[in-house]
Amino acid sequence: MSTQAVPGKSQIKFKSSNAPIDKKPRKKIAPMRRQDRWGMLFVSPFFIVFLAFGLIPILFTTYVAFFNWDALGGAPEYIGFANFKELWSDTYFWQALRNTFSIWFISTVPQMTLALGIATLLANPNLRAKVFWRTVLLVPNITSVLAVAIVFQQLFGYDFGMINLAITWLGYHHIDWVGNQLASHIAIATMINWRWFGYNSLIFLASMQAIPRELYESASLDGANRWQQFRYVTIPQLRNTIIFMMIMGTIGGLQVFAEPLLYGGGMTGGDSRQFSTLTLYLFEQAFFNQRYGYGAVIGIAMTVIIIAISVLNYLIGRRIATDGTK
Amino acid sequence: MKRRIALLISVMVALGAGVAAPANAAPVTLTVWSYGNVFQTKLLNAYKAANPTVTIKIKKSDMDSNHQNLRNALRTNSVPDIAALEVSYIGEFRNYDAYFKDLNTMTPSASTIKNDFLGWRWSQGVSPAGKVIGIPTDVGGLAVAYRRDLFAAAGLPTNRTDVAKLWPTWSQFIQTGVNYKKDTGKAFIDTAGTVFAAALNQGTQRYYTSGGSLVYRTNGSVSSAFNVAAQAVTSGNAPGKYDGGIGTKTGQFSSGWGTGLQRGTFAVVLAPAWMLDYIKQQAPRTSGKWDVAKAPGSYGNIGGSQLAIPKNAKNPQAAWDFIRWYLAPAQQLTVFKSYGQFPTIESLYDNSSVTGYKDSFFNNAPIGSIYVASVTGVHNIPTGKKDRIIDTTFGQAISRVMLGKQSSSAAWTQALADIKKSIGQ
Repeated sequence: MSTQAVPGKSQIKFKSSNAPIDKKPRKKIAPMRRQDRWGMLFVSPFFIVFLAFGLIPILFTTYVAFFNWDALGGAPEYIGFANFKELWSDTYFWQALRNTFSIWFISTVPQMTLALGIATLLANPNLRAKVFWRTVLLVPNITSVLAVAIVFQQLFGYDFGMINLAITWLGYHHIDWVGNQLASHIAIATMINWRWFGYNSLIFLASMQAIPRELYESASLDGANRWQQFRYVTIPQLRNTIIFMMIMGTIGGLQVFAEPLLYGGGMTGGDSRQFSTLTLYLFEQAFFNQRYGYGAVIGIAMTVIIIAISVLNYLIGRRIATDGTK
Repeated sequence: MKRRIALLISVMVALGAGVAAPANAAPVTLTVWSYGNVFQTKLLNAYKAANPTVTIKIKKSDMDSNHQNLRNALRTNSVPDIAALEVSYIGEFRNYDAYFKDLNTMTPSASTIKNDFLGWRWSQGVSPAGKVIGIPTDVGGLAVAYRRDLFAAAGLPTNRTDVAKLWPTWSQFIQTGVNYKKDTGKAFIDTAGTVFAAALNQGTQRYYTSGGSLVYRTNGSVSSAFNVAAQAVTSGNAPGKYDGGIGTKTGQFSSGWGTGLQRGTFAVVLAPAWMLDYIKQQAPRTSGKWDVAKAPGSYGNIGGSQLAIPKNAKNPQAAWDFIRWYLAPAQQLTVFKSYGQFPTIESLYDNSSVTGYKDSFFNNAPIGSIYVASVTGVHNIPTGKKDRIIDTTFGQAISRVMLGKQSSSAAWTQALADIKKSIGQ
């Protein structure tokens, strides 16, 4: 910009004073700077991948839901909303939904509580071999799902499983961990809990360590005991983490698939669908019964349910966290 | 100069001819999608030794996944060169012959080897239009493997001819089981529900007619096989209890099943030929305690596979060469002697190495002649598109009856409704 050195005056430069009057209206959006272009370039892989593996499949699935589509058969047949209507009155779908919630409840609630408890133990500054404990907690998370399923199937086996042996030694009768509905949910939830409790406790631990010491000190000065400190300091400070964990746990829990599939060995989730979950039901309809259109509808229904539950989860999470400060 | 150029050219031509001479010089990798014990390592190594340019890569999955992956892949170009198709799925794939190579059109044509094979097993790999899409591997046949020591302890005969006289029909088989359970307090058979497939495969039709119409509801053999199975899974239980009928509550091939075989918690296993190898693998220490007797009914079959070449396979000729070698009489004889899988080559049924074959694990039972007798006489049962779905649904219904969740008629009704929901008819 033109800056005339006026003798005796200061060297402050004013941008607009000597600028020519704009002939065109000024643009509302500033033109992209070079840094912005680079930024978009670095971020673009995520969007490309999301587009290819996320968005387009979602749109295609919605499209498929309106057809009767057999894998190897001829052209797909347009049937409008027939799949949606069938889903609404499908007792097996609702059963899968109830099973999914049951398994989710039995897996999430004890798991979160256990994870919080373990994180508190790990946060203790007097703990020895901290790194060892933290590493060991992650081992269940990295074992193969198939291996876990095989081992737990043996543990929960009817005739020779260790758990039934322990139960009969205590004087009770064998439990049918596969045939009985509630027992099968507990068995599957145990597999899920075993896998994730270490991972969750480490996340809680990380958040706990970010809580400033002064809060605990002032709480103990005010006469709060350990439990009260936990309730009125730790939990509110962990609010964001708890919300995050609950949402992640819900999304994961509502999609549980590998465990019921490998536990039962078939795609229906047991002879009376006692542990059929939503994703397993989708898989069965789409790939075993070869009804791609119906499978797509189940997928859409699942998306709606998961979004609704996640929102509910978020609202509840906020309440729990703010409760402690009252 | 001209002479030098001529010399150079002739040398190059000679070299070129020498290089072009070996026919299959280019290395070939055959991808094979399979499950279970369809391909045996010993033979694969033998083929590799004889054909060093051919590498065989086998992707083994569990039975359902293998076929589902194949179904999804058939519409694309990423198909294997060889696909193993189990008999419960062959009904589906043979109806979609457009996706497979017609082996009659390969060189040499499949029609040149057709007469070697057992007729009804060959037909299972032929499409309704007459195209040959798969060559049969082994045949199951049916017999009963039993523990001689456990029979003796229960006061039952142990000689295999006498044992076969205990159960000429399925009801007498079940009655033997009930008596055994009462006398010893232990289960008679591993999984009582296995009688369903055994009884059903003794008929002339299952779920489809040869024209492809669904008859699972109306075919009397289906409902009577179901009733036999329902009886087997509930007979011998104390009133109000559901202990698995004449069997245990453990499913076949589960980990509890292997343990049960080792510990002798049951005395009998329905044995197609391929089952004998499973027993040897799971319970090697029980060698010599077993024997093999005829099953109820004079013939029977469970299981079997075909090998097919998808249309878009990258190496169809090499695949066909391998299939013809693997299923040739010499190789099927080796597989039988080493692994017990029964050959589908009819000429072998007169071969003394088959008819005279005795297995010491099974008390020198004449396995060869027992299974020859059981496979001849099996009818050519039409297979159809939804066989696997219908099989699985009936299997679950029988399981519910076994666990006391439903009566046999309620389970039958629900099975019919479930099948209708799954397949639309």
